[in-house]
Amino acid sequence: MITDVLWWIFAVGIVGAAAGVVFSRSVIHSAIFLIVALAGVGAMYLFLQIEFLALVQFLIYGGAVTVLILLALMLTRTAAGTPRGVSLTGPQWPFALLVGSGLAAVLVGAAVATAWPGDRGEPALLPIGRVGERLFTDFGAAFIVVTAVLLVALVGAIIIARQEGSE
Amino acid sequence: MVSLEHYVALSGILFALGVYAVLARRNAILVLMGIELMLNAVSLNFAAFASYLDPERVTGAVFAVFVITVAAAEVGLALAIVIRLFRLRATSNVDEAAELKW
Amino acid sequence: MGAEHAWLLAAIPAGAFVVLALFGRYLARGGDWLGIAAIGTSFALFFVVLADFLGTGSGLGPFAASIDWTRIGDFSFPMGIYVDPITIVMLAVITTVALMVNVFSVGYMKGEPRYWWFFAVLQLFAASMILLVLADNLLLLYISWELVGLCSFLLIGFYWEKRSAVEAAKKAFVTTRIGDVGLLIGIILLWREAGTFNIQEILHLAEEGHFSHTYLLVAMLFIFVGAMGKSAQVPFHVWLPDAMEGPTPVSALIHAATMVVAGVYLVNRMLPAFEVVDETLLVITIVGLVTALLTGFMAFAQTDIKKVLAYSTVGQLGFMFVAAGAGAPEASMFHLMTHAFFKALLFLAAGSVIIGTHHHQDMGELGGLWKKMPITGTTFLVGSLALAGVPPLAGFWSKDEILVVLDKQWGPWAVSLLGFAAVLTAFYTTRLFIRTFLGQPRDAHIAEHTAETPPVMTGPLVFLAVLSIVSGLVVFHEVGTALGFPGGFGEFVFLPTHGPHAYEFDAAFAGGSVVLAVLGIFTASWFYWGGRLDRSTRLAQWQPRLYDMLVNKFYFDELYQAAIDYGVLGFSYVVSWFDRYVVNDTGVDGSAQLTGYTGYILKHLQSGRLPHYAMSLALGVVALAVAGLVMRG
Repeated sequence: MITDVLWWIFAVGIVGAAAGVVFSRSVIHSAIFLIVALAGVGAMYLFLQIEFLALVQFLIYGGAVTVLILLALMLTRTAAGTPRGVSLTGPQWPFALLVGSGLAAVLVGAAVATAWPGDRGEPALLPIGRVGERLFTDFGAAFIVVTAVLLVALVGAIIIARQEGSE
Repeated sequence: MVSLEHYVALSGILFALGVYAVLARRNAILVLMGIELMLNAVSLNFAAFASYLDPERVTGAVFAVFVITVAAAEVGLALAIVIRLFRLRATSNVDEAAELKW
Repeated sequence: MGAEHAWLLAAIPAGAFVVLALFGRYLARGGDWLGIAAIGTSFALFFVVLADFLGTGSGLGPFAASIDWTRIGDFSFPMGIYVDPITIVMLAVITTVALMVNVFSVGYMKGEPRYWWFFAVLQLFAASMILLVLADNLLLLYISWELVGLCSFLLIGFYWEKRSAVEAAKKAFVTTRIGDVGLLIGIILLWREAGTFNIQEILHLAEEGHFSHTYLLVAMLFIFVGAMGKSAQVPFHVWLPDAMEGPTPVSALIHAATMVVAGVYLVNRMLPAFEVVDETLLVITIVGLVTALLTGFMAFAQTDIKKVLAYSTVGQLGFMFVAAGAGAPEASMFHLMTHAFFKALLFLAAGSVIIGTHHHQDMGELGGLWKKMPITGTTFLVGSLALAGVPPLAGFWSKDEILVVLDKQWGPWAVSLLGFAAVLTAFYTTRLFIRTFLGQPRDAHIAEHTAETPPVMTGPLVFLAVLSIVSGLVVFHEVGTALGFPGGFGEFVFLPTHGPHAYEFDAAFAGGSVVLAVLGIFTASWFYWGGRLDRSTRLAQWQPRLYDMLVNKFYFDELYQAAIDYGVLGFSYVVSWFDRYVVNDTGVDGSAQLTGYTGYILKHLQSGRLPHYAMSLALGVVALAVAGLVMRG
């Protein structure tokens, strides 16, 4: 009972934060809202009783990604600061609104209408051991490839963001 | 009782919000934030499936791990590009980076 | 050596053609001796073939031989020869007249440029014509049909420096071509149903009722169109008078005795099939009658002696078709034979006149030539009397036969019409003779320089004159058997369904024919003899419009020219308009412009602007989702 109420609080919170990200008129505010939203998602993982994922979420998103975003924001500010006059919303926002709301309608409708097979009605505890097992046995190859992806991304980012003339 | 449908609906709404951000926002970094939202919605969805439908073989959770990993890599790279673009153009406005055109 | 070697009659002149064409200009005297030798050999061989044909036990049994020429899968096309009485008659005519013409040409063409080429083409023509009558199947017949057309074209346009000759050759070829298309369609129609080109097989199938009535009717009518074209029947007659542009020996050989009778030969050859669909016989008869009458009138108003003879030929061909239409090949072929002799004679005599007067052939300039050219004049007289149908010359017997069978088949109306045509024939023939040979010369200068032609030219004239006198007598049973034939002409050439036909003298018809001839001769004499020219000029003035019609040949040529100018050219304007505006501007240019315009519109998709691309992505996904929902629901 309590869990449900808490869940709803968190759910609303996430949606609100996400809305803040999307509709805010300041980039920094959007970044802050994003942190809140991502943290909320991490909490959701806890509700689902997958502690491992919650941990990963907080670590990576809350730690690395947010920092990255804020850093990038700092580096790409124009000289005179963020001018309030320039709108951050592009000219095609009506279409986007249409698409977005349509999409939401479809997805929510599908979610509600579908009879999910094997629905247990309540979340099960997923111990980290089981996850690890699956990860390293059935998805072993993919795991290794993903490490390579990370490496490449790292190197690539360095190369792209490098200052000119510092060969 | 919070059921699967709630989670799926929630992730659907998050996803739609992310789509709006990608389509309607001008700042490149805001677009990236929208992408992050979408990816997170997807991970949440998969995790919910794993928990409610398939706890023996936790495929959804594994998938969520992968998504998070790749998303992190991707955001790093994308931000690097934005920074580079900013240096060249002195702007991070997506509307103005329109070289690849007719 | 026998009938199976009949193909040699065609092969020898063909070989001579090849030699003459390649080496003629280097040979002594331009190779005319080679030509004469070739055709002379054919002439001699003809008698060998004839003897063999008559000597074979079955008497009149036709002879056939063939080889497989080519095979395509299951189809084989045998080619061969077929010799029957009709073939024999044609071979006699062709070899005789061709020989006479070759000899005559030595004198006539003396000093002309391309002398050797003339003889070469004469040989090719003889070979083709012989092949035509020997052919046992329609395909071979069609090939040689086209070959003789080609030779005609080459020879009419022999003096190609003259514009009028070139035009005439073109006109002849194009007009006969129209007929040839009909012939080809007819051949194909027959082959489709019969599965063979062989003439005898087709005739048997037709008699057995293998073809449906309408189908055979259409096919035979098309074949008749081909015959009409080649034999210059109305409305295809326009090419023959113009063909007189060619050298006169050509006119004698091709346009009097042989090529133009190919149509008559074809009809007679396929007469059993025509009989099965006997509506065609009426058509044939009417065409022949109309032609005979119209051309008879047209011959009145001509002043060029060759043109008179040309119209006369067309008319006499009409007589032959009338006989065929009456189901009487014996009469048709008989007239073909006699006509060949006396018409060739008349043409060669005209050629003699032309040479003798140093190239003058208009009656307005001639007259009184009898004194200066006695041999030519006499032979011309013989030919004229034969043409007019005066007994006992050949023309009388053959014309009489036609009238008899015409009465038997169609009755008095047809006989009266043809009889009137016979009167016209006698009339214009007499007019021709009188104005050319009798009376006072119209141009003293020409008359003074006129001389008789050398024997190389008068010799053939005499030979043909003799034939014109006696060849009619073969109609009698006694004469026929004396020569080794089973009987008279009617007992040699006949339709299998009718049986042999011995000659019966019908006094009424014979007398009637004589009356008609005399009537024509007398009327013409009254107008023209003794310089009473004013009577004819008064006649012309009395009915000027009628006279104009005659002089302008009933305006056939003008009509055809107008049809071409407005019809063909007008149609080509429409087609070219279509080609320029629809095909080119709209189709070709238009599609190019459309492509460019589409590209111009579509290039805006590549805006380079990220939000646009993202939007496209989103829209695509939405579309997919909707499609998926629709398909599932």
